Amino acid sequence: MSPNLTLPENATGHPLRRRLMAAAGVLLLMGTYTALVLTQPAGLIDGLGQGVALATFAAYLAAAILLLAAVLPELPVATLTLIPVALALNIVLGQFVGSVMIPLYLDSLGTVLVGFLAGRRAGAATGVLGTLIWSLFNPTVLPFAAGAALVGFLAGTAARFGALRRPYLAPVAGLVAGVLVGVLSAPVAAFVFGGTSGVGTGALVAAFRSMGDSLLGAVTKQALISDPGDKAIVFLLAALLIYALPGRLTAGFAFVRRYRVLGRRGSR
Amino acid sequence: MPRTAPLHPFTVLALAAAVVATTTAAGRWWLSCTVLLGCLLLAVWARRARRLAGLAAAILAPAWGSQLLIHGMVDTAGSQVLAAAGPLRITAEGLRLAAELGLRTAVLVVAGLLCTLLIDRHDLVAAVDLSGAPPQLGYLVAATLSLLPRLAQRQRAIGEAQALRGAAAGAGPLGWWRRVRLRSVPLVLSALQDAADRSTHLAARGFPAAGPHTRLRSVPDSAGQRRLRRIAMACIVLGPLAVLAPTWMELA
Repeated sequence: MSPNLTLPENATGHPLRRRLMAAAGVLLLMGTYTALVLTQPAGLIDGLGQGVALATFAAYLAAAILLLAAVLPELPVATLTLIPVALALNIVLGQFVGSVMIPLYLDSLGTVLVGFLAGRRAGAATGVLGTLIWSLFNPTVLPFAAGAALVGFLAGTAARFGALRRPYLAPVAGLVAGVLVGVLSAPVAAFVFGGTSGVGTGALVAAFRSMGDSLLGAVTKQALISDPGDKAIVFLLAALLIYALPGRLTAGFAFVRRYRVLGRRGSR
Repeated sequence: MPRTAPLHPFTVLALAAAVVATTTAAGRWWLSCTVLLGCLLLAVWARRARRLAGLAAAILAPAWGSQLLIHGMVDTAGSQVLAAAGPLRITAEGLRLAAELGLRTAVLVVAGLLCTLLIDRHDLVAAVDLSGAPPQLGYLVAATLSLLPRLAQRQRAIGEAQALRGAAAGAGPLGWWRRVRLRSVPLVLSALQDAADRSTHLAARGFPAAGPHTRLRSVPDSAGQRRLRRIAMACIVLGPLAVLAPTWMELA
């Protein structure tokens, strides 16, 4: 059936070009990450450091935009209307949680919800778009777009392979996602900003540095402490919210029906 | 009444990107300070100086604190030790590194926030729509920007309604958790229901439309601005290269 109800179904653009763009995005991301981990440039402000900061910023952002351009034209209308809600939830709930003294972010709840309901491509697109729009209010999040895309992608992957069929599987999937996201985002924090954006996380990095770790090593260890817990809670919260949704609403998403994301819960 | 720049949004964004890229590459404190001062003057012109300062301070204060802790307080490489006690080792080189990183972050934050304050959001949405980007992108930007204040207002209304019906949250982590649940569950469920309803209406009206469509809002643009955008885009790449090439040659 055509994605819209009034126009005949047309082939949406060039599938091969979109696949090539997605592949280029992934390659750019992995290439940059590998180069940074292997070379671990020492100086941050000595000429080489500025170049590394700009190249990391540009490469991570370009990879995220390539992934978005590859995915966006494929998304059905039900997913497109869900994404703005998810982005607004990320920002509104992120700000509410950030306003109380709890060391959690919960700023990817909307992204994970979209990943669970609409699949990994929609989740990745939501992550990138959310970062681009949030950067209007906080420009420092811009180079973390690729990390946000990975959160959505992993949420969709986890849902596809049954993480929502049992409530205890969702936080386990979140833990794994948190490890991967933390590892991917650490070079941006280290080489673009020279650390982290919060005092609490900065204190952890400083502690690891004083024990003799390199900057990238210290930031990666800090990310491995902060991110898995946060993502485990976000995945669990998103799963509980989806369980609370009416069945006719969740059944409206082709991804949920096709992969039996909710298992027996979906057939109630 | 705040003013917005009578420029195409992409012109403002391209100029800001060129300035941030070149300033970051240069890594000179006086250039960063000049850019920050220029941004502040533009914000004064736009009658948004106080808002810019408040927003920038909220983002920069924790970032500077973190950079000071990481580089200024536990520097292991610097030779000019100013103070040392246990794991703390404050050096002149570490403080200088923290200050330069702080200035680099400040230029990104202040220039980025200034763009947000100078650009009319409706112009931005229209510019995205009129550009070669997929039509879905314009809808997503417009829908998110309009949903944000509505959801924030709904969240406050839900909090007030919960308080009126006597749903006390309590203190401590359990109180926090209860407060999150009382607010987020009705907020998320109602927002998802709205989205599901909206998708049927949009699909029935032929969204996303393929092919050209008429926009009633025009975005201020001119041949001069288009030229300026091309120059700024070239500067994003060539500016840092021109600044950094001599240093790289010395290092090689």
